[in-house]
Amino acid sequence: MTITSLVPSVMNALTLISVLMLVAMGLGIIFGMMRVINLAHGEFVTIGAFTLSVLQELGGSYWLALMVAPIIGALAGLLVERLIVQHLYTRWLATILATWGLSLIIAQILQIIFGAGPQSVSAPISGTMDILGASYPAYRVFIVLFSAAVLGLVLLMFSRSNFGLDIRTVIQDRDMAEALGIDTKRVFSKAFMLGAALAALAGVLVGPLAVVIAQMGVNYLAKSFFVVIVGGAGSFWGIGAGSAFVGGLETVFTYQMPVTLAQALVLALGIIVLRFRPQGIVPHANIKW
Amino acid sequence: MKILSARQGRNPIRELSTPATAIVLGIVVFVISLYADYYWMMILRDALVFGIFALSLDYLWGRTGLLSFGHATFFGIGAYAVAILSTNFDIANITLLALLAGILASGLVALLFGYFLLFAGVRGPYFTIMTLALTVIASHIAVAWVDVTGGDSGITGVQPLSLTLGDFEFVIFAPQTGLYVALALLLILLLVIWKVATSRYGRLLKALEVNELRARTLGYNTPLHLVGTFTISAMIAALAGGLYASFAGYVAPDLIGLLLSTKVIVWVAVGGRGTLIGPVLGAVFVMQIERELSSINTSLWPLFIGLFFIAMVFLFPNGLVGLVQDLSGKMSKNQKKGGTESA
Repeated sequence: MTITSLVPSVMNALTLISVLMLVAMGLGIIFGMMRVINLAHGEFVTIGAFTLSVLQELGGSYWLALMVAPIIGALAGLLVERLIVQHLYTRWLATILATWGLSLIIAQILQIIFGAGPQSVSAPISGTMDILGASYPAYRVFIVLFSAAVLGLVLLMFSRSNFGLDIRTVIQDRDMAEALGIDTKRVFSKAFMLGAALAALAGVLVGPLAVVIAQMGVNYLAKSFFVVIVGGAGSFWGIGAGSAFVGGLETVFTYQMPVTLAQALVLALGIIVLRFRPQGIVPHANIKW
Repeated sequence: MKILSARQGRNPIRELSTPATAIVLGIVVFVISLYADYYWMMILRDALVFGIFALSLDYLWGRTGLLSFGHATFFGIGAYAVAILSTNFDIANITLLALLAGILASGLVALLFGYFLLFAGVRGPYFTIMTLALTVIASHIAVAWVDVTGGDSGITGVQPLSLTLGDFEFVIFAPQTGLYVALALLLILLLVIWKVATSRYGRLLKALEVNELRARTLGYNTPLHLVGTFTISAMIAALAGGLYASFAGYVAPDLIGLLLSTKVIVWVAVGGRGTLIGPVLGAVFVMQIERELSSINTSLWPLFIGLFFIAMVFLFPNGLVGLVQDLSGKMSKNQKKGGTESA
């Protein structure tokens, strides 16, 4: 097997992994901080994709959507956090039920407004480009490079900025963070908005590849939660490991079998991994269930 | 200590009322069935089948506190097993055999899923999320594996349940027969589960929810009991699914997906988690509202469920039955004056 023949599968895997990382990052961080499970997270992806569709319908460009969608996502995140999540910090079951209700409402409202059929979206770049002798769709290359850049910024923010330090402190020990004068709720609020913005950004990126319908969010929700649980909540590298596990294996299996069977197999393997590493592939010292 | 004794004092009363309520339910359904026409007979029959499904979730969620967000997976396995086997094989008693096969397959999936997760210590939110992933994958398979499951259009022509032994033949075809079979199974399950719930073993299951660590310290193999409960619950759900497929004559992917999984949570929550008979009544009651609302506009129902979840969390966290109990409890407490503090 030559390098050239490996290029498409490696690039397919990287596309899936980078999208999963963008979506799961918010989930993993907010779970790490406050043990909050937000089942409306998938709707941020949907909102991103619909922003792209609406803007293109109005004559706007893809690049405009790429800038606007994270802002809309962050605002939606702020609303969700203020109206619902903030009041339920200590009650995980209540949070699950309330955010699930919200998810149904958002998806249904989008369907009433835009109809049940798939929305039309188009990629900004068409054609293929040459990678190590293999030709590969240029738009997918863009997804990988752009996500890598965004994720690089997120990592830099976590490890270098004051905001990142605050987030890491809250994840490590919330009570101690409060004792040190960190406004944990405010930090959480901001982290929640950041997670929503990243998911909306992912929505724009996958829009041209996916079927953009009101119910698209739930697939990303289930998959990215799976990423968080298998990889380990609360750290950048946990999310990275989980995304690599889910995205990598799914791509490899898809070459051998139908995609649904591949997904089922990845789920089964993930469950087996959890038997031996219950805290995920990259366990965080302070996060246990 | 006070809180604990208050709780222990209340639960047996709620549980003890089950046999009486079950008998009343049986009589009421029987009387209605004497006067109902063909259409209402079918509706009542389906409501009872979904009542069994709601009971299966309550056995898990109400006893052990483990919430399955993917219980339709097991309902769907039962339904699809009956549909696939009964349309592909032409041997005597095939539907009955398929029903048993579905129940076993569902139990096996739950056993494996539960073994790997519950013995690894996966509990609470994580367990719930994993069941959500399970149901999403299951519905993907139902939609995409067209050769076997019929894809989006599902499978039609599912054979009715029948029992043939030599010259004796009993076929459940008329809605009325199906209704009585569903009613009988529901009442039997209600009484058996009630018996289990009020036994020593039932107390152990309750202890797993209240304080699993303490139960483990007392020497109980707690993951084993959780896996067992999960498996039995999945098998009851598959029974309901198999019955539904054989009665309705068709299956479609909405029998295995996330929406049905959340519907059953609503039924249990409305009826009152842990009350056994409550979820059954919740299923009947909520499905009737769903029918009324959907006849106005089909897109209203998901909105309504969504609002219900949010309202439940903020306004009545113990379900509608809990709300009524809390209100009446408050009133009687005010009357007695100076009653004991309770949670």
